[in-house]
Parts: sequence; C-alpha cells; structure tokens
Amino acid sequence: MIFQQLPKELVDFLRVLGYWDNILIGLAKTMWLYVWALLIGFFLGLLLALLRQYGGRILSRIATGYIEIVRGTPLLVQLFFIYFLPFSINTFLQAQGLPYIPIGRWSLYVTSNLFGRTVTMVFLDHITLIGILTLGLNSAAYQAEYFRGAVISIGGGQLEAAQSLGMSRRSGVLHIVLPQALRRVIPAWSNEAAYLPKYTVLVIYIGLSELFAQAHYIISETFLTLSVYILVALIFLVIITIISKALDILYKRTAIPGL
Amino acid sequence: MDKNKTVLKVVDVWKSYDELEVLKGVSLELAEQEVKVIFGPSGSGKSTLLRCINMLNAPDKGEIYLSGQNLTTSGINLNAMRAKIGMVFQHFNLFSHLKAIDNVSVALRRVKGLTKEEAREEALNALNQVKMVEWAEHYPAQLSGGQQQRVGIARALAMKPDLILFDEPTSALDPELIGEVLQVMLEIAKAGTTMVVVTHEMGFARAVASEMIFLDQGIVIERGTPEHFFDSPESERVKHFLRQINILYGYHEELIKEYNEDEKR
Repeated sequence: MIFQQLPKELVDFLRVLGYWDNILIGLAKTMWLYVWALLIGFFLGLLLALLRQYGGRILSRIATGYIEIVRGTPLLVQLFFIYFLPFSINTFLQAQGLPYIPIGRWSLYVTSNLFGRTVTMVFLDHITLIGILTLGLNSAAYQAEYFRGAVISIGGGQLEAAQSLGMSRRSGVLHIVLPQALRRVIPAWSNEAAYLPKYTVLVIYIGLSELFAQAHYIISETFLTLSVYILVALIFLVIITIISKALDILYKRTAIPGL
Repeated sequence: MDKNKTVLKVVDVWKSYDELEVLKGVSLELAEQEVKVIFGPSGSGKSTLLRCINMLNAPDKGEIYLSGQNLTTSGINLNAMRAKIGMVFQHFNLFSHLKAIDNVSVALRRVKGLTKEEAREEALNALNQVKMVEWAEHYPAQLSGGQQQRVGIARALAMKPDLILFDEPTSALDPELIGEVLQVMLEIAKAGTTMVVVTHEMGFARAVASEMIFLDQGIVIERGTPEHFFDSPESERVKHFLRQINILYGYHEELIKEYNEDEKR
C-alpha cells in the first residue's frame, strides 16, 4: 500500500459507486428516454421540415406554427402541459359519464437479479410515455430546422434538374434532395443529438427516476453531494463524447467523394 | 424543312415576376432536327423563356405546344411532358451524390421505369456520345466543369427527348473548357437533335443554327439566319450587341473587319 489511508475524496467516490445499481437504473432510463425522443424527433422533424419547405400554403403554415410554438415555450412548461393533459381530459370525460383513458394502467417492466441486487427496468409506464413524448415532440421542432436548413442549402437547382427530367416533385425530394440533405445535416444535427441527453434531466419534475433523480436519492442517503454530481457529470461527458465521435465517423463515412 | 413536323410551338408567351415584366409576347416555332439559337443581353428573358417552355415557370399568358399538345392547359401531366424536354443548365446542376453514370440513369429508372441493367446500358450509350464513358464511375465533384457539363448533356440525351433546351451551357466554364462542350453540342446537333440554345457562342450559332433570335427586354427584336445576323443585321440594338460580343469573344473575322471599319468612320 502506498497510502496508509486512502484519500477522503476517493473513499467518498467509492462509497457513491457502491450505489451502482441505482446509477445503472438511472442511466438506462436516461438512455431509454434519449433514444426514443431522438427517434421521434428525427422522423417528426424530417416531416415538419419537408412540410414547411414543400407543403404548400396551408401545411407549411401549420408546420411553421408548430415549430415556432415549441421553440418559443419552455420545455418544462411543455412537460407539465402534456403531463396534466390526460388528467384534464379524464376529468372532462368522467363528468360526461364517458369511459376515461386508463393511463395509469399502461406499464411494461422487467425485474431481474443482478449480482445479488434486484434491478427493475421500467420500459413503459404513463410517466415514461409522457417523458418520451414531450422530449420527442420538443426535439422534433429543433431537428426540423436543422433539416430545413440542409434542404435549402442543397438548393432548388437540384430539384429543378430532377423535375426537368420528368421526375415528380415528391420523387425529386425523396431521391435527389434528401440523400444529400441528410448527409449535409449531420454536423449541425449533432448539436441536437448532444443537447438532448442533458434535457432528459427535466423529467425528474414529473417523477421519472432517470440518472439525475437517482443522483438525488444517493445524495439523500450519503450526503456526498460533490462526489455524486461529479459522477453524473462524468457519465454525461462520456455519453456525449461517444455520440459526437460516432456522428463524426458517420459524417466522414457517408461523405460524397470529391466534395 | 417542310417535311419535318413541328416539335415546339410557343405562342405569344408573357411572364412577369411581381412588377417586373420579363417576357412580353414571345412566339417561336421549332421543327424536328432544327437548332434555334436565342441570344441577347442579360435580363432579356432568355432563361425565363426556356423555363417557360418546360413549364418550370408557367407563363402568365400564351401557349406552349409540344408535338401538338398544349402544356399550358390545366390537368396535363407535366412530369410526363417534361420527360420529353431535356434541359442543360448553366451551372450543370448534376446530382452531386450520384456518380456520372447514375446521374444519367436515375431518371431512366425512376421516370421511364427501366431495370437497373437496361438503364445502365442506355446511360453508357449517352455517356459515349459525350465521350465520358471512362469517367462513368466518378462523382461530379471529381470532374472538371467541361466534363460535368458533358454529363449534363448526356443526362438530357439519355431520355431521348423530343427536344433539348440549353441554358447558357458554356458561360460558367473556364475558356479552355468551352471547346469540348461546344464540340459535343455540334456533334449532337449534326446528328439531328432538336435544340433550343441560349448562348453567346456565335461560332456555334453560325455552324448549326437554322434560325437565330435576338431577345431584348422580353421582346423579339430581330430574327433570321446566321448569315442574316453576321452579314446585315437590321436594328442598331443588334449591331451594337454583336460588336460587344465580338470584343469579348472576337473570333469572327468578318465582324472584326466590320467593327474596325465602323471605328475608322
């Protein structure tokens, strides 16, 4: 032994690591929220971008309105709005004597035994669903603008060339504009991919125990505030570094030769 | 000429962008295998006229007939009609994510519904016509401007259109690359391709144009054979413009002589 006694910081940190099952559950939840929100945001965002750019008068205004409202209001407000909406609807339905939405009953979870500890992974319950939905609907608005920027930068000349060959607008957008726009968007879009994991911490407000909520729990048990927060920060740093690096590689792999 | 049927008929076409009137009643007619050259100062409406012909910008007034079919009537399938009108762009507009061969074959597959193999064969034929077969597997960004424009021409040719529109095909090229594109255009013109060409390349016009049209401020100022324009243009506007072109490009001895004589007076 080099040290007579381990430094206090290390001891604290090791004690925090003793709660690895809480950290694991929290991390899994955070990633679960992240992946689904990013996916929903991707597809809805792409649709919104195309509607805003090519949707014609009415649809493009609807898409623009959605994007502006979502980008112009706090995520926390959106979270509470979507959280309370089903309750309000149910109150209304019950008052009318109609059957209500059984949101509380939706759930899907797996309990397993890991190194002598019981680990319960909740894949779906109604707050998880609301967390995923809110983050996804929010992310879609931001992703839409990244996609739209890329689509515009590809330029009308490409679409015109496609149309001049007899391709329909839809076919031109699908086969000519999108393949280029999706490549070009990667560096800008990686912003959203890197922001979103950090935004997931907000769902603590509707009672979801993701990584940050687990951190609070560990603090309440150990009072090792600094160690816990450093650990949480490190975990986010590692995740986001991996995401950035992966997108960097994807960008280089899909690059158009010569460009 | 009489035995050739009319491919394109443009009747009194008007077009304005907001307040700006770009075309003010332009008409022209094009028979099979004919080459028409449109020239005139910038802003005269040359490009707009081409874009009206293939309905990328529908005219406000007037009619466009392609082989007798009126493109300006509502309910016509414009995509199907555009497949019969090729277009070559000033800035090439090649699909940058596709190799040269795929640039040429993509519409053959998506529009004409050819199989991958059929489309590839047709595309190679077209690339052969513009002497670009050995560059088939290259991406546009790996090609020179002249090579890109030749692929652009092949892309239009491969669809076997009724006519091809050329929108200043050489004006974005370095001088030493213009020749290879003009040569390809001369060859396909001589092979009987029906063409409407917006260009200031008077050498090309002289070699293959059946008629030249001088457009200024949206109006046809003068039209006639190349001989007419180079020997005895009528309006002062045309004379002045041809002199300007000559100063820039200057490879028409007759015009240079004429210009010098004018200067002496």
